[in-house]
Amino acid sequence: MEVFLQQVLNGLVIGSVYVLIALGLTLLWGILDIPNFAHGNLYMMGAYVTCIFVNQYLFGFFTAMVISMFITAGVGILTEMLVFRPLRGTAPINYLIAALGLFVFLETIALLLWTADIRVIETPFTQKVIGFMNLRLTVQRLMIISVTIILIVLLYLFIKKTMMGKAMRAMAQNREAASLLGININRVSIISFAIASALAAAAGSLIGPIFQVYPTMGGIPIVKAFVIIILGGMGSIPGAILGGYILGCAEGLGTGYVSAAYKDAIGFAILIIVLMVKPSGIFGGVKR
Amino acid sequence: MLEIIGAHTHYGGVKVLKGISLQVFEQEIVTLIGANGAGKTTILKTISGLVRPVSGIIKFFGEEIQGLSPDEIVRRGISHVPEGRGIFPEMTVLENLELGAYIRKDKEGTKESFRTVYHYFPVLEKRSKQLAGTLSGGEQQMLAMGRALMIKPKLYLLDEPSMGLAPYLVREVANIIRRINDEGTTVLLVEQNARLALNISARGYVIETGRITLEGRSCDLLTMEQVKKAYLGR
Repeated sequence: MEVFLQQVLNGLVIGSVYVLIALGLTLLWGILDIPNFAHGNLYMMGAYVTCIFVNQYLFGFFTAMVISMFITAGVGILTEMLVFRPLRGTAPINYLIAALGLFVFLETIALLLWTADIRVIETPFTQKVIGFMNLRLTVQRLMIISVTIILIVLLYLFIKKTMMGKAMRAMAQNREAASLLGININRVSIISFAIASALAAAAGSLIGPIFQVYPTMGGIPIVKAFVIIILGGMGSIPGAILGGYILGCAEGLGTGYVSAAYKDAIGFAILIIVLMVKPSGIFGGVKR
Repeated sequence: MLEIIGAHTHYGGVKVLKGISLQVFEQEIVTLIGANGAGKTTILKTISGLVRPVSGIIKFFGEEIQGLSPDEIVRRGISHVPEGRGIFPEMTVLENLELGAYIRKDKEGTKESFRTVYHYFPVLEKRSKQLAGTLSGGEQQMLAMGRALMIKPKLYLLDEPSMGLAPYLVREVANIIRRINDEGTTVLLVEQNARLALNISARGYVIETGRITLEGRSCDLLTMEQVKKAYLGR
């Protein structure tokens, strides 16, 4: 039982990171039909920016994380304006090709700017351990879980309550009708990219002190984020949240009971099983 | 108020409009009738900016609007109720209407628009908390029409409002269009149901394969042999 709970807890930590990445990916897909393979690189860039502000300029971790979210949102907006916007209205395959190109481009930029040396964000939170019954968790891990929940709630409120959030949902459900009401797709597009990128930056910043920061760190998480949004239903926000936690916990339990070596295969096994039972994903069916 | 001069519109290489010229005057109901695929819907889409004309001029209150984006055109007071209604099924009726007022900044005016819309379509107030996708076909049509009224449009473009509705609802929708017009909104109506359209409109244009082949007062069109044969079913 202890192993089980400890691994679920570990799964929630890594699951939180997946949720933050997958939320952005599902927003971009659901609203703009963009399969953004480069999204994992914004997670990487977010981690680097936080790393630099913490390690070099000695900012506090949270200040650095917020700065990183803003800077990465800016990078995301640039990719929207320079890469994706000119392709709007052309064949959908163009988005895919552009996203893959952007993926390679951003990774190379990171390599040039920051070299391939592996870094770690230095925070005191990774040393402090909190014990609860027989479970152990570092403060950093606890922070990952709680900050993610806060960000999910903020995103939910934004999407549900604000006029911009409603416009984004409208755009996802019927783009033509939304534009007839005066909703400007460029604005919705920019805001979507900013939010998605900021969430990815938060994920990178939160995990940076535990995992390492390096230019290709976005590769595996982006593939998993795609697994999650297919699992949860393409474009579905609850699907991305549930899917992210499910994958995180499955990996945690797989590591605990089977072997860490198979960790990355577990997600795909779950994906295959879910797609056999419900091909449109858990919350799939209607596009949101 | 609206003047189209020689509009040509292509759709994926197909020439859909081949030189359309028409006019709508303030306070009128004008209708466009014609067979499926004649280009009626494309005319409305060209006006509201969803498709761009290849050539031709569209003037609204004397200013050229062709080439503007849909959100700029709606800001000038042209509201378009698209074919197939275009409601947001996973949002509530209230949210749909709020989005109708997306471009409005004045709270008081928006409240007044809500009152106006609920006055025309009381059922929307009753169903305001319900998801739009769960409404009946007639209610969805009313929601689409109500939503487009939220900006208090100067020109109201209606595309096939009677499509898929039961006969008694068709009459109700027709009455509401008349009332909306009586209270000062100019209407450009596209309809398959030519008899209905000509009955409530002042003037009409007959569209055939991208061209206007006939135009005139609706009461005259109703009695014309070629209109009767082709569109009125006798």
